[in-house]
Amino acid sequence: MKKRVRLSEFGAAEKVLTPLSYSDLAPLPGEDTSQKQFKPVRPELWEKYDYSLDGFSALNLPIPKTPEEEAAIVNSFLAGLEKLFKKENNWAFLQPTVLSTEYCMQCNTCNEACPVYEASGRQDIYRPNFRSELLRRIYRRYFTPAGRLLGKWAGADVELNWRVVYRLAELSWRCSLCRRCASTCPIGVDNALLARELRKLFSMEMGIAPDAVHKSGTINHMITGSSTGMTRAAFLDNIEFIEDLIEEKIGRRIKIPVDKKGADIMLLHNAGEYMAWPENPAAFAILFDAAGIDYTLSSEAMGYEGVNYGVWYDDVQYARIALAQVQAAKNLGVRKIVVGECGHATKGLVTIADRLCVGDFAIPRESCLPLLEQITLSGAIKFDPMKNNFPVTMHDPCNMVRLMGIINPQRNVLKHILPPGQFREMPNAGTNNYCCGGGSGFAIMNSQNFPEWRNNLASRKKAQQVLEAFKDVLDPSIPKYYCAPCSNCKGAARDALMHHYGFRDKYNIIYGGLVELMVNAMIDVPHPFITWEDEF
Amino acid sequence: MNYIEVNGVKIELDEDGFIVEPDLWSEDLVKAFAKTEGVEELTEDHWKVINYLRDYFKQFGIAPMIRKLCKDTGFSLKEIYDLFPSGPAKGACKLAGLPKPTGCV
Repeated sequence: MKKRVRLSEFGAAEKVLTPLSYSDLAPLPGEDTSQKQFKPVRPELWEKYDYSLDGFSALNLPIPKTPEEEAAIVNSFLAGLEKLFKKENNWAFLQPTVLSTEYCMQCNTCNEACPVYEASGRQDIYRPNFRSELLRRIYRRYFTPAGRLLGKWAGADVELNWRVVYRLAELSWRCSLCRRCASTCPIGVDNALLARELRKLFSMEMGIAPDAVHKSGTINHMITGSSTGMTRAAFLDNIEFIEDLIEEKIGRRIKIPVDKKGADIMLLHNAGEYMAWPENPAAFAILFDAAGIDYTLSSEAMGYEGVNYGVWYDDVQYARIALAQVQAAKNLGVRKIVVGECGHATKGLVTIADRLCVGDFAIPRESCLPLLEQITLSGAIKFDPMKNNFPVTMHDPCNMVRLMGIINPQRNVLKHILPPGQFREMPNAGTNNYCCGGGSGFAIMNSQNFPEWRNNLASRKKAQQVLEAFKDVLDPSIPKYYCAPCSNCKGAARDALMHHYGFRDKYNIIYGGLVELMVNAMIDVPHPFITWEDEF
Repeated sequence: MNYIEVNGVKIELDEDGFIVEPDLWSEDLVKAFAKTEGVEELTEDHWKVINYLRDYFKQFGIAPMIRKLCKDTGFSLKEIYDLFPSGPAKGACKLAGLPKPTGCV
């Protein structure tokens, strides 16, 4: 049931502030949610961890046992909150944080832009501005003279207790940072940035972050060289495997350039591609070889891993990783870095890194999509669009499309590799597109009952868009391709669209990147590159 | 904390049921896991997959890509699922005592 929650009651001693049920969700065409229920949490977990926001846990926060522990949570939060607004502590995002905190007009235009809010049956707590307004009121209450003295009369009516802090921590991980709300706001308030800054406060001051993102994410990344745990030896073994795969697919062997000094480009893939979708780096290698691109991969630890989970939650972890990636490029003496099909990696290196990569670290850094467009338009590769004679829709990864405005290059590629009539846009395509549901770490956060929340709430609008795009060809005898040029978006496609919503079994929809479609249309490639059979 | 009991000894598991300390792996642990992961009887084919995973892990410190597991053992993904109903990562790797996969995989 839709529940109204007053901001001043966010810390109420209710067991669960907004319990969710399937009947609240906006059902997809053909989806029967009437008999479904969310899996109950095991009693021993319920006793131990905090589920009091919405019955789900992204963070495994242990419930405090003593008044001292409760007070420590509040004090630590306040110390971090103060730092968010100080230039000595917030070198990365101080200005947009301050502006988004000070200038909201409370018009709430952002609400309807949010896929989670809409999918949840419009639960108050998921409004983009609900989270931001909590932050604003707490800040005013504790750090402004008017708020301290006048409380609710000065718009400062949220009293802190440990529940407020822990619920706010969980709530900062119920937003996928897609920034659809920010692009709707008439004055540019960025609620997603505020969610991200809250995550930063929790991580950097309180040591609170999802294990998948921090412990087995950035920490593991810096120890082993990759968030996947892939060491240099494993990377080189995978490259050899991908060379074998290419030989099987195209009938000749291509030597993938690794550590080629002075190459024009260092290509940086999300390492998840090597482990889970090796056709993607394989397709890049085939295309770059055919187009005569002078490029190299790096085998240096952290030089073969494009992800930077720090983008989502922690400035220090972010900076350590970004600098190591750029250092790897400097060591090879390349002219520029091109980031493969990964949205947050592109955001991390191409935009945020501007604040870090100055002086001799100012190596040009680009998304692969304009380069793929140049290759296609140059005529260096001959394509036969009829080899891709099936319906295709294009997912717009938020970080590349809404944030960076890279909208047309991938579409210009599709014009040259698909026969007329086979490409169909989703409703709201382009900068107004919806998140896949896997953004900001959600795709890799698989602990406790969080995946159930993610698949049902964060990915629901995307699922609806995909069905809408293919509505005239849903018949499973027609194979269809959901093109998602981003690793996290592919992970979400696999886990939410294919496994949870069953799109492959029900409708014969498969997912993959852009380069796989390009290679599939190459005249020089004798066998289909996309096989429709394998699912990994 | 989660545990699995093998020959009267409690072995710690993470929240997804993977062993926390890889050195505590034993053939008896595989037998105990088989029951919880829907493997009715451990056959030669199961051991072929488990031994391959363990060898790869010893060499590279990580589980192999699934594509490589299939190619090197000669089993299709479907056959891997037939052997280990909870799948290559959550099933086969767990029985082989490997840590759970991390990163964008």
